[in-house]
Amino acid sequence: MSTTKSNKFLCLFRFAAAGWPAKPSSPQEMQAQYAAWKAWMTKFEKELIPGDGLTPAGAVVKGGNVTDGPYIESKEVVASYSLIETTSLERAVEIIKACPVGMDPNASIEIRQLGGYGG
Amino acid sequence: MADIEPTPGLPEHYFRHEFGRLVSVLSRRFGVHRVELCEDAVQTALLRAVQSWPQRGLPDDRSAWLYRVALNEVLGGLRRGKRTDTSADDIDELAAETGTEEGVFMENEVKDDQLRMLFVSANPEIPRESQIVFALKILCGFSVEEIALRLLQGREAVYKRLQRARSALRDCIAEPELADVGQLASRLPAVLEILYLLFTEGYSSAQPDRLIRHELCEEAIRLGKLLEEHPVGAAPEVAALLALMYLDTARFESRVDGTGGLLLLEQQDRSLWDRELIQIGISYLHGAARGERFTRYHAEAAIAAEHCLAPTYKETRWAEIARLYQMLDSVSPSPINTLNRAIAIAEWQGPAAGLALLEALKAPSWLLGYYLWDATLGELYRRSGDSERATVHLTRALDAAPTDAEKALLRRQLEACSACPDRTANVQRLHG
Repeated sequence: MSTTKSNKFLCLFRFAAAGWPAKPSSPQEMQAQYAAWKAWMTKFEKELIPGDGLTPAGAVVKGGNVTDGPYIESKEVVASYSLIETTSLERAVEIIKACPVGMDPNASIEIRQLGGYGG
Repeated sequence: MADIEPTPGLPEHYFRHEFGRLVSVLSRRFGVHRVELCEDAVQTALLRAVQSWPQRGLPDDRSAWLYRVALNEVLGGLRRGKRTDTSADDIDELAAETGTEEGVFMENEVKDDQLRMLFVSANPEIPRESQIVFALKILCGFSVEEIALRLLQGREAVYKRLQRARSALRDCIAEPELADVGQLASRLPAVLEILYLLFTEGYSSAQPDRLIRHELCEEAIRLGKLLEEHPVGAAPEVAALLALMYLDTARFESRVDGTGGLLLLEQQDRSLWDRELIQIGISYLHGAARGERFTRYHAEAAIAAEHCLAPTYKETRWAEIARLYQMLDSVSPSPINTLNRAIAIAEWQGPAAGLALLEALKAPSWLLGYYLWDATLGELYRRSGDSERATVHLTRALDAAPTDAEKALLRRQLEACSACPDRTANVQRLHG
């Protein structure tokens, strides 16, 4: 098993569904948010692989049934993802803790090591 | 204050100012009666930028990027609301028209749109206190909470004032275009008053955070320059107001000591005054001198210039300042002018002359309860050696002073008062 493990980690950013899409903040606050994310990405530039944000539009297929919207029934919704390529899970945790929402009680970030099964 | 930190790759206040620019541009295209829709669209565009720019990097033309996103939001909003919006134009036509104008970010055009929005804020249908709140929201990009903090008003009050402005504009499908200089000129006094109030809110408000106050002064100057650069603002009183704002801003930092305590003009370190800003202020004042018109802004700027150009407190031309306060009173009568003139006369001819002016004034009751009235009387009595009356007035001023900084200053003056030998008492003792 350990031989196929990748050194990549998938990070899923989840937010409380009630608070997402993010509540409007002032332009001044948004500039501060931009600066914080930019600073984080610059600091861990060598280990971060840019992911993307996710729009509220989507569908869920379950047992052949399709429902629209990813968060109809869930309390939390995945709002974005990114990848970290680094030495250990501990290091990935350290990087995520340092991100602007790393300490936000409304955010939870799931970090999963990629299996590398795809070769 | 997170935004004091420079943002990599972006000018200071970029998001806030871009909000004002884009809302102004979109509101001209779609009508000020749809200003709320435009605000929401720009808000969404900025939010997208926060999500996308850190990862993808800044787009080559940031403004055009934001405009495209906001424009699509407005068009989407119009399509959704078409059934209820009876004033809805042909949206597809609007979309075609707005989408093809790539030259939208011609700097001049954007400036004109913002200036037009400043005149929209001065619409006589909007109550004065709502005009200021509206300008801070639309043109400066502050949120309701941020405005409440800056104007020391409740959040609810700010929100209500903003809504009052928006509902007044809801019926204004046709606001004047900037080309109608004649029509706009009638609103110029109201525009200047908005800028003057923004500035004084920043310069003298009780808000303890200096950075927050300074920001309001900066905004007033920014909008004032926008006005001055356009033919509609080519009036001497515009230059006079800019002169006043620059000459006051030059002294902004010197008014407090190292620990944030308030300093009297007499105690200020004049080497801290910003010579460059003073120069700009003086040149605006020269520009304001053309024509026959003499406004309160002329008088106040001339007084500020006298202080800025005096080498020391003692060498200030107090006679000239006393004369300027009299001129100010003739264009904008207020007993506060007499109060200030008394201070100048006291410096010029001695405290007794200043006191004589105040004792002769039929002060209205609101003035008698005003802390600066008591503070001035107290100081002049102290200087004339009447420490008993001085103590009465300074104590009363201390009770009514609105800020801790001012209370601390008055407390120091009271201490000076009790420390100095009481000449009146001495005289009585000698003769008693």
